[in-house]
Amino acid sequence: MIEFRNVSKSYPGGLEAVHNANFSIEKGEFAFLVGSSGSGKSTIIKLILKEEEPTSGNIIINGKDTTFLKPSRVPYLRRSMGIVFQDFRLLPDKTVYDNVAFAMHVVRATPKHIRRQVPMVLSQVGLEQKAKVYPNELSGGEQQRVALARAIVNNPSMLIADEPTGNLDPNTAWGIMELLNDINLRGTTVVVATHAKDIVDKMNKRVIRIDKGNIIRDEKGGYDGEEQ
Amino acid sequence: MTVKNNSFVYLIGEGFRSVGKQKKMTSASIIIMCATMFIFGVFYLIGENINFIMKQVESQQGMRVIIAEDATSDQIASMETKIRQIDGVNQVTFYSKEDALASIKERLGGNLEILDEYETDNPFPDSYFVTLTDLELNNEVQEKIMQISGVDEITAQNDTISSLSTVAKGIQMATVVLLIILVVISVFIISYTIKLTVYARRREISIMKYVGATNGFIRGPFIVEGVIIGVISAIITLAVVGLAYNSAINGILSSPVIPIINMTLYGFSDIFLKLLIVYLVLGTGIGILGSAISMRKYLKV
Repeated sequence: MIEFRNVSKSYPGGLEAVHNANFSIEKGEFAFLVGSSGSGKSTIIKLILKEEEPTSGNIIINGKDTTFLKPSRVPYLRRSMGIVFQDFRLLPDKTVYDNVAFAMHVVRATPKHIRRQVPMVLSQVGLEQKAKVYPNELSGGEQQRVALARAIVNNPSMLIADEPTGNLDPNTAWGIMELLNDINLRGTTVVVATHAKDIVDKMNKRVIRIDKGNIIRDEKGGYDGEEQ
Repeated sequence: MTVKNNSFVYLIGEGFRSVGKQKKMTSASIIIMCATMFIFGVFYLIGENINFIMKQVESQQGMRVIIAEDATSDQIASMETKIRQIDGVNQVTFYSKEDALASIKERLGGNLEILDEYETDNPFPDSYFVTLTDLELNNEVQEKIMQISGVDEITAQNDTISSLSTVAKGIQMATVVLLIILVVISVFIISYTIKLTVYARRREISIMKYVGATNGFIRGPFIVEGVIIGVISAIITLAVVGLAYNSAINGILSSPVIPIINMTLYGFSDIFLKLLIVYLVLGTGIGILGSAISMRKYLKV
């Protein structure tokens, strides 16, 4: 589903953010991408989204090498991914309903399909009562649920979350993680970049650990692995 | 941009929403657009009227083709057909010796004694009066006529003709130059306004890109916005220009000079449709161009 083959990424100025990364995340998997800030995990997320191009190596998504993907095809690649950010990135002047519907307008869904689909995902994330509310009237956890609803409303085959709980208190964060797990159980591949140790330990999923641009560990378990 | 119907409705709605949100900037650019379009409109109308006057002058201007004394009546008759076949010739009128004398008599006020002598020995030649469809062809036509047998000479006010056609050309050039300047200024203004909208909506645009919007889809509302600004400006300017033109034209036409020089000007209703089309095409074109320019940089990422 997502495969990195000898991927390196240097930024102008010589900083190597990712060095020779190799990993493969299979369909339906749940994987954490962990590491301290500046370790290179954000760069890996950006490479998956094709927001950045690798300096060398190949990135294969859904069986297709995206290295040579034309810029005009990038939107269609992104339609196969739902994306969630630390800062939620909701539109403040649109209601919860419209924030989610917006993602469907963008992919040119029919109005009928939008009216059916949006309430369904809102109830999936537990916000069916908040459809007409604006984002600034919601708590942080609720806002992230809206972002999650927006990410999955078009039924993407994978969900990419970049520090989804970074702005949330531990209890709320755990609620978001349960939701991610729930989405994963419905068949969506989930990749979560985080440095929240307690959550990663509690979830006990596959962990890809990055340090100074190198993948130093890739196995199922806690944040620090078996040795600690 | 291939956009399904429902998306099209959505994009237009978004464009109107954006105009509504950016009220100040939108009205500022509408005002500036109106001002530039107004100036253009004034020049355009002056130009159109000068062209109109030129046409009237042209139809009056012409040359007198003097027929040689010894030309036979066959020659004179075939001369008319030959002149008519020349490109640029509008009307050909025959004036006999007698016509010439009569018109001189009339001009001099009738019963002068010298003219009595002329009745028996008419010194005026037979001639054709030739008018042109386009004054610029004056020299060419004259050369061709001179080659016809039986033609003695041609008298024409060559200087008047050439200076009139220079004026007409100058006006046309000025209108074109002005149009170019107007388009450049307006494109700049609209693209600046839309750049502000793009900036205000950069968050929305980045989210659109993450959820897989194509560039065409992202561009849609901004192009709609540009077109709305252009069309609103066009309609306002048309109304203002119409009112101004009508009062100006009424003033000019009621002045005592007009009947004397035997000229008339366009009424506003004569050129309303033309001006409407020019303004709408300009407004829409400038709107699309302006928004395309302001988006170009933004969509590269």
